[in-house]
Amino acid sequence: MNDLSDVPANAGSMRHHLTTRRGFIATASFGAVSLYALWAAFDAAPFNIVGLHDSNVPGGGHGGAKETAADSMAGHGGHGAANAGAASEEFRRMTEDFVARHRLPDGSVRAPRNELALSETMPAAHDMHASHGTMPMEAMSGTPVDVYLMAQQWSYEPAVLRLDAEVPYRFRMMATDASHGAALQLGRGSQIIRLRRGILTDRELTFRRPGEYLVYCTVYCGVGHDRMTGKIIVS
Amino acid sequence: MTTTRQSLAALLRDLPAAHRALLTTLVVSALVTLGYGVLFGALTAFVRAGFFELHPETGYRFMTLHGVTIFFYWLYFGQATMLLALAAAEGGAIRGIKLAPAAWLGTLLMLLGFTANQIGAWTGPPLLYDASPEVAGEERVAAGMSYVGYLLLAAGLFLVAASAIATALAAKAAANPRVWSTIGFGVVTWAGLLMVSSVAAVNAFLPSALWAYGLADMPTDPSTGWHLLFHNLHYLPLMGTVLIWYALIREMTGVKSIFGSRFSKIVFASYLIFVPPTSLYHMFLEPGLAPLVRVLGSLLSLFISVPTVAVFLVIVVSLEASMRARGSRGLFAWMRALPWRTPEMAAIGAAVVNLGLGGSLAFVLIQERLATLLSDTFFVPAYFHFLTVGTVSLTLLAGLMRITPALTGALRAPRLLALMPVVVTVGLVLFGFAGIFAGISGMPRRVLDASYDGAAPANWLMLSQIVGVGAILMAAGLLIHVAILLAGIALPVRRTVPSRSPAVLATPDGAAFRQAAWTGPLSVVLLVAAMYAITIVAFSLMQALPVVASAGGH
Ligand code: HEM
Repeated sequence: MNDLSDVPANAGSMRHHLTTRRGFIATASFGAVSLYALWAAFDAAPFNIVGLHDSNVPGGGHGGAKETAADSMAGHGGHGAANAGAASEEFRRMTEDFVARHRLPDGSVRAPRNELALSETMPAAHDMHASHGTMPMEAMSGTPVDVYLMAQQWSYEPAVLRLDAEVPYRFRMMATDASHGAALQLGRGSQIIRLRRGILTDRELTFRRPGEYLVYCTVYCGVGHDRMTGKIIVS
Repeated sequence: MTTTRQSLAALLRDLPAAHRALLTTLVVSALVTLGYGVLFGALTAFVRAGFFELHPETGYRFMTLHGVTIFFYWLYFGQATMLLALAAAEGGAIRGIKLAPAAWLGTLLMLLGFTANQIGAWTGPPLLYDASPEVAGEERVAAGMSYVGYLLLAAGLFLVAASAIATALAAKAAANPRVWSTIGFGVVTWAGLLMVSSVAAVNAFLPSALWAYGLADMPTDPSTGWHLLFHNLHYLPLMGTVLIWYALIREMTGVKSIFGSRFSKIVFASYLIFVPPTSLYHMFLEPGLAPLVRVLGSLLSLFISVPTVAVFLVIVVSLEASMRARGSRGLFAWMRALPWRTPEMAAIGAAVVNLGLGGSLAFVLIQERLATLLSDTFFVPAYFHFLTVGTVSLTLLAGLMRITPALTGALRAPRLLALMPVVVTVGLVLFGFAGIFAGISGMPRRVLDASYDGAAPANWLMLSQIVGVGAILMAAGLLIHVAILLAGIALPVRRTVPSRSPAVLATPDGAAFRQAAWTGPLSVVLLVAAMYAITIVAFSLMQALPVVASAGGH
């Protein structure tokens, strides 16, 4: 299987076609991939070409609409099982508090509608060492309304959450026993959100259309995984 | 230049009997794990499609058995077999396999690992193949066997890879002049990466094993170790795949790279550079990942395709240029002249097509923002089966079909085998495209019943049924390969193995260089265009969602 004589002895003196040159192969391999890399990094030209690019968008305009990379934030996150346990306990307490305060007779939870209700929840957020916790109160006008969502084997708390359309919400989420997902089924697609145990994840979301949206777990969490659902009702 | 050389099968046939027995053990282990794993994959697909119902515990156990058996054992046994076979053939029959006792011990450890994983999967909680300690929870002792299995597998693989390296080194030492052959060099690179992968497996599972048996606390961040390992698992078979293409195409057509051995070696070595940094994209959804890391991750993960595209071009351009130099005219006459009726060639042809399909879809996930739409949905298994089944498994099967004649004397039912890659590919297209549509609308992976009591979009069930029909074809195609190859080993037919590779397609000296060989480059252009198109569609879909997501405000 020896192939030391791969290239003919007189190869150097021959006229190569472009496609049979090593430089061409190397350039083509790198070039093809780099072209895409450029785009992946900068959302370059093609969006302008097809008219989807929206450069007014905070965060650089990608795919249009008012979207920025939905970020998440670690509260106590990832510093060992004990910390995760403590963070989970604290989050559980805050969620229960939120649910108790806003529960409707049918068992669902309606998110607070005004600034006063919003400010009620903030001290708790401060306790969590979340970066918002240190924000002065006056800077908060217009801040999204906080809602809590706790994921555990195999349910969400609250199981049914009522929200208003066109109101920005800050979803404060945590998985308290094992990792979970909190995906939102939105008709043509879903927002997939991964939650790690004991790590606080914040996501700002504004629902544009009223409707009932399925919340479901997308991180395998044991035999009850596909029964783990919740509901968001937007009016 | 007309070249004939001893065929791979002939070289292996002349190995000492004990070495052939080692290879036979590996081939049989690979085929049995493939067949067994495929059965559970098909069952999982059928349950998802609603063809029949299973208790969730049983259903998830089957999903675990599929993932564990096929992703760890089939891929590792398959790779170990081909690695050792290519290395042994480099050295020639007289030198045989070096460190053969280590390779035997490695094989034994891998088999013990398989047994331990089976015990873990059948008797423990269904953990799926990443076996997260969080999911195991209280049932940690029962889960322990799964971790022990993975550790045994890692140790075994390490030993087999060491033997392959020793064999390739011995071949080099005996060569005159003492230079690496392309394949020998590729074998050493591949084996080195497999060894890294064994270490990554120990890193991922040792803490969990210690925890399971009460010797340590629960690992604090098992997902990072898992991501590192998983990433390796993902890409290494690709390195093996291109090396097998390289070796087999030369073997079947008599055409070798017109770009020279050194160029191919540089391309193989570049896997060493590109594999490690690409691990990031598996983590895009992890809470708390810094934005810069996300962008860098997107970029780096792309570059894994550079060596793969390069090998593709080297092979396709060499073939086209050589065939044109021999008189092929027109756009595709050169392609038609290739030996498609040879089952290995048919398998490799299908593997290339599936790599194009899977590759163009994979890039959508590399777009960090699309990860929030598609990660953890059925999009993921839908696209990666093009790669794991369509590309890697068909290529490993091509390799196994090439070397089993050395053990049995002949390959049975070659006509039927040559059709199977087409069957598998049709199945994959159904499985993959239905799964991708379902994934785009959010249908999750890793569930048995995606109806959510009627709250899920109505088309998820219909799409799952198409996935199920695709699964039937994929399973049929793969199982027929397994059955024919195993039958050949159990009931050997003694016919003579062709001792020389065909020289019919060999090229007149140097004439290939003057040919225009555009098919390869144009396919790459098409691939890039497809990637762009798919990404544009996915972005526009994301725009249409009735929710605006924005940063957490910090
Ligand atoms: C006939 C062939 C096959 C069929 C029908 C099949 C089917 C499936 C199905 C239905 C799933 C579950 C998807 C989900 O719900 O998440 C799955 C998962 C998977 N398959 Fe296959 N598969 C086949 C072959 C293979 C092969 C050959 C490989 C690898 C070499 C493979 C690797 C995987 C992996 C890694 C998973 C993910 C398991 C997990 O998420 O826990 N499959 N397969």
